[in-house]
Amino acid sequence: MTSREEQKKVNKESVFKRFENSTVLSIFIVFIVVIVIIQIIKTGGSQFPTFISPVNLLNIIQQIAVPGMIAVGMTIVMISGGIDLSVGMLASLVAIVTSLGLSKWHLGVVPSVLLGIGVAVVLDTILGFIISRTKVEPFIITLGGMITFQGIALLLCNSREVMMNGELNFFKANLIEGAKDPASGLNLIIPPYVIIFFVVVILGWLLLTFTKYGRRIYAVGSNENAAYLAGVNVRNMKLSAYAINGLLVGIGSVMMLARINVGIITLGQNLEIDTIAMAVIGGTALSGGKGNIWGTFFGVLLLGSIGNAMNMLRMPPEVQFVAKGVIIILAVTLGTVYSNLSSSIMRQNKISLSRREKI
Amino acid sequence: MPDEVILRLENISKSFPGVKALQNISFDLRKGEVHCLCGENGAGKSTLIKILSGAYQPDEGGEIIFEGKKVNLNPRLAISMGIQTIYQEHTVFKHLSITENIFTGLEMGRNGFLQKKEMMKKAADVLKYLKSDLDPSARMGELSSGQQRTVEIAKGLIFQRKVIILDEPTASFSVSEIDNLLEIIKTIKASGIGIIYISHHLEEVFRIADRVTVLRDGQKVSNYDLEDVTTEKLIKDMVGRDPSTFYKREEVALGDVIFEAKNVTGKGAKNVSLKLRKGEILGFAGMAGSGRSELMNLLFGAASIESGEILIKGKVVKQASPGSAINNKMCFITEDRQNTGLFLKQTIAQNTIIANLVNTKEFFMSTSADYRIGDKFIKLLGTKADDSHVRVINLSGGNQQKVVLAKWLNTDGEIFIFDEPTRGIDVGSKQEIYQIMVGLLKQGKAIIMVSSDMPEVIAMSDRVMIMKNGEVVAELSKNEVSEEHILTHSIGGSKI
Repeated sequence: MTSREEQKKVNKESVFKRFENSTVLSIFIVFIVVIVIIQIIKTGGSQFPTFISPVNLLNIIQQIAVPGMIAVGMTIVMISGGIDLSVGMLASLVAIVTSLGLSKWHLGVVPSVLLGIGVAVVLDTILGFIISRTKVEPFIITLGGMITFQGIALLLCNSREVMMNGELNFFKANLIEGAKDPASGLNLIIPPYVIIFFVVVILGWLLLTFTKYGRRIYAVGSNENAAYLAGVNVRNMKLSAYAINGLLVGIGSVMMLARINVGIITLGQNLEIDTIAMAVIGGTALSGGKGNIWGTFFGVLLLGSIGNAMNMLRMPPEVQFVAKGVIIILAVTLGTVYSNLSSSIMRQNKISLSRREKI
Repeated sequence: MPDEVILRLENISKSFPGVKALQNISFDLRKGEVHCLCGENGAGKSTLIKILSGAYQPDEGGEIIFEGKKVNLNPRLAISMGIQTIYQEHTVFKHLSITENIFTGLEMGRNGFLQKKEMMKKAADVLKYLKSDLDPSARMGELSSGQQRTVEIAKGLIFQRKVIILDEPTASFSVSEIDNLLEIIKTIKASGIGIIYISHHLEEVFRIADRVTVLRDGQKVSNYDLEDVTTEKLIKDMVGRDPSTFYKREEVALGDVIFEAKNVTGKGAKNVSLKLRKGEILGFAGMAGSGRSELMNLLFGAASIESGEILIKGKVVKQASPGSAINNKMCFITEDRQNTGLFLKQTIAQNTIIANLVNTKEFFMSTSADYRIGDKFIKLLGTKADDSHVRVINLSGGNQQKVVLAKWLNTDGEIFIFDEPTRGIDVGSKQEIYQIMVGLLKQGKAIIMVSSDMPEVIAMSDRVMIMKNGEVVAELSKNEVSEEHILTHSIGGSKI
């Protein structure tokens, strides 16, 4: 090989390395292929694999839309170097406030929804304020927030469910009424909240990649001192990350309420664990400064399809936990191993290249 | 038996990749004496101490002889043999009491239970012996740095150490604390402990030393009994490089005053006034801890000014934060590039564009423009990297420093503060950085340069200000600048 060809090869590899989401994407693809193969073997190839049938894919997306939206906010918070454990209980609180506004306080749909979202933004901003103005770990502050929000929510609803009369049903109306799955003949459903999820993902991506704000968020999470000396208002950047997260929790929670049609404390349960897992699977670092929205998006898809696939294969729910846990560990470990490996390959290529050039 | 040698080093050398930190050092310490080590920043004092405390292994060929026996030291062995090092940075447990600090790792116990009362009594006895009125149950975090040293020395006495090494013990001490410490040293010296004392303050050396050894560039220059030596003689030994080997800088014509500080006072610096002209490098010399970096933080708005004012192009400006300083066309290349200068995990492009965001009006930005800017500065500064997609963590020190420079050049600033511009950088890159600095001057920009590298200060500066204890103690014009003058002002001079 001539040295120019080798140079090209090195560049190619580095471009591949630059594609940050390769780990989560490859795990996702492998996962789908494995499930599909299992289904084909089981049915002897007589049926179209139900896992990848349009109706099931849309089903998965409906299930993940709300946690996915909140995972976008979590990703922004984590890139800024923080974490938010309060999102689950905050979502429950918002759902209860909104449903109370509708069914008990009779505020009307728009004011109730705005009230719910407003509560989320204000409360998460308060947490962000405390975190950015003191040096207390965000882990502790948001843990305190989580417990507090749970208490407030239970007080508001007297530890009972808040029933609704389908006031938010338009959020789950079918936008493609009449469309049928060619394979099974079942109805295809795309509700508005799925569209909102995609809009949130795209806006999150634009915000982090194509704005001044995004550049500063990465800087703050990557090195606070250097960011401060480069003229970044570190405290307000951190504050804003929590405010954005609050907004997304608010919107997500209202969507979830629309789906379930009852305000209940368990609504947001484990949401913080799921969203952190989604972000981390997608390559977001707990230490800050690393991650991106598309990585998280694939993390959301992967985590969301595990449960669905296990149901398809008729696995007991207990096994699902094991599978989820193993995949989280796999994704994160592989990400590290992979990046170490590819950088050492690059280095070796460079060494052999420079040696050859000397000769 | 005051003349009995307790510790002897023979032909000790220590090299790091590319640097010879110590070369053939021979040194001895007697029982009950205070042996001072003197030398400029980087002369090798710290390396020598680290060898004595077992933190570094010396190169092959040298010998350490402790109480007549050849030893191979490691940190645990050094302590168990009785060599205690009290480092410049405090290594205390702030939340524990004095007694607990003294006995950490060496607790007195019986049948697995701590002998709290006995430990407390021992601590109290020793503190009394050191004429200190500290309460052994007081929390370490509540003590002043002087009192914390006292506790560390008390620890040395309780465990009957034979050698105590003090590295710059009086940095950040008040005058009375210095007096106190020197008294304590005299007390423990009388009990037969050998003391190695390192200080930038020659007046302290003359108050307590029995002997003095001078190091320069990793070599031992001289060894004196105190009565045979003067301040002038010590300084002469500490300097002595050949100025003709220094970097030759191009001269640039000076323009108007662009930056001025009037009586600036704040954390770490007192009452500093200075004027900086276009095309000029104003050097700041002084020993480590003399307040130079603190002053630069004040000038850049990274720490708040208590009194005094800053003028840029004749106009008083408020520097509330680094952001406003950048708006005022200032740039700050910090001393610690990994912790305060760079985003190591990010790409060269991301590092290059970040500071100029202050001057950017647009909210939306394109990533390809980032990479274009990154690539432009890679070319301009000759950074060794494929392109600006490379992450900064993968670059060498010199190239990392060029990325820091790119970040500031991209802001189109006019007033540059360089804090230790070439620390930890190889010789070739050093020259390149110097050329970039001169290039800035030619464009009518101005530079304030803090440096502990004596040849650098002398070669690069048009004028040198010397700081000591947070104040500017002297200003030398280009003709007056020499190693000897700078050292005289930064370590000698005033008496306590």
